[in-house]
Amino acid sequence: MPKVKLPRKSTAVDMTAMCDVAFLLLSFFILATKTKPPEAVAVMTPSSVSTKIAKEEAILVTLTKEGKVYLMLGDKAKKEAILEDINTTKALGLTPTELSKLKKMEFIGMPFNKIKSMLQLSEPMEPKRMEGIPIGDSTKNELNDWIGSVVRSYRGESMENLNLLVKGDNAAKYPAFKFVKESFKKNDIFKFKIVTNPEGVPLNSELALNPPGGPAPAAEK
Amino acid sequence: MSEIQQVNQSSKRRSGKSNIRVDLTPMVDLGFLLITFFVFTTTMSQPTAMNLIMPNDSAGPQDMVCASCVLTVLLEKDNVIRFYEGLPENQPLIQQTSFGEQGIRDLLLRKKTQVGQLPGSTKELVLIIKSSKESTFQNFVDIVDEVAINQVRHYYLSDINDDDRKIFNLHP
Repeated sequence: MPKVKLPRKSTAVDMTAMCDVAFLLLSFFILATKTKPPEAVAVMTPSSVSTKIAKEEAILVTLTKEGKVYLMLGDKAKKEAILEDINTTKALGLTPTELSKLKKMEFIGMPFNKIKSMLQLSEPMEPKRMEGIPIGDSTKNELNDWIGSVVRSYRGESMENLNLLVKGDNAAKYPAFKFVKESFKKNDIFKFKIVTNPEGVPLNSELALNPPGGPAPAAEK
Repeated sequence: MSEIQQVNQSSKRRSGKSNIRVDLTPMVDLGFLLITFFVFTTTMSQPTAMNLIMPNDSAGPQDMVCASCVLTVLLEKDNVIRFYEGLPENQPLIQQTSFGEQGIRDLLLRKKTQVGQLPGSTKELVLIIKSSKESTFQNFVDIVDEVAINQVRHYYLSDINDDDRKIFNLHP
């Protein structure tokens, strides 16, 4: 039997197509995504069918798993006024340098009586190590005062400009949220938003069959 | 690395046309490396915001509702929902359900159609939501979301009172 001569084929594959795909995907990811904002405090938000995009420039109240409350003043134009207001109304006795230091901090999460000592530390404190703004029954609820200052800084403007968001962790207990809700109500804020992950509307549900102008207004007894 | 050089006759007789093929393997590697980097450092979905509007209740509650229009749900530990229909005075039957399509969604839909078929002027379901201490923020958002999904027009967020403690057999 004569030997079958196998033609020796090159194993080199043309990589051009693969290269094209790789860079196409790359450009898609660059364009379609957004860089993650630094997450100093880990919060897993619940999902909702809401389709409105949460604005960045907002007063954000973060509620963590452990029940700690942080405040983020995203509205840069107002941040200074709010901090100065809280400094005078709560007599924190902060010097201008300490105020500017506080202004640079993204998260506010300390009781009033510990803000000054926190600012005197050489290194800025990590949000994770902060105690959180005390919440609870009316007297101890310092969030009341913070929201009060926020509302004062918006005085003279339409309250529509005040974009108040609550970002809560899935595992946060309800009472903590109730206290946050109550501190809004104390300051005559009856409208706020909850940050959620988008979720598809279930098929054949009422909402999918006849999409409304907006969700039903909530009410509280 | 991946190309096995073939020395054959053709390469020897080099004509004026030179072979301009470049090995693209490293470029592909680089491409996928960058993709991985972007996948890990970026977020795809932007967070959405769910509206929650509370009425100014300083004047106190005023509206009386029809007894058969009311559904009261209590959110409890471990994603359990307990509910009763009607007013607490009438010793209603306490039932249990869960979150999800078969649970709360079916319940709301059933009750909504049931109330819609009641005789008299157009009546609408009134949902009263009570959250126990052990329920989580997720439970709360889920139930408000179900309200939006089922288009329940009237719902109230209410605190647990003594009636509820008795009826749901809760410890204070």
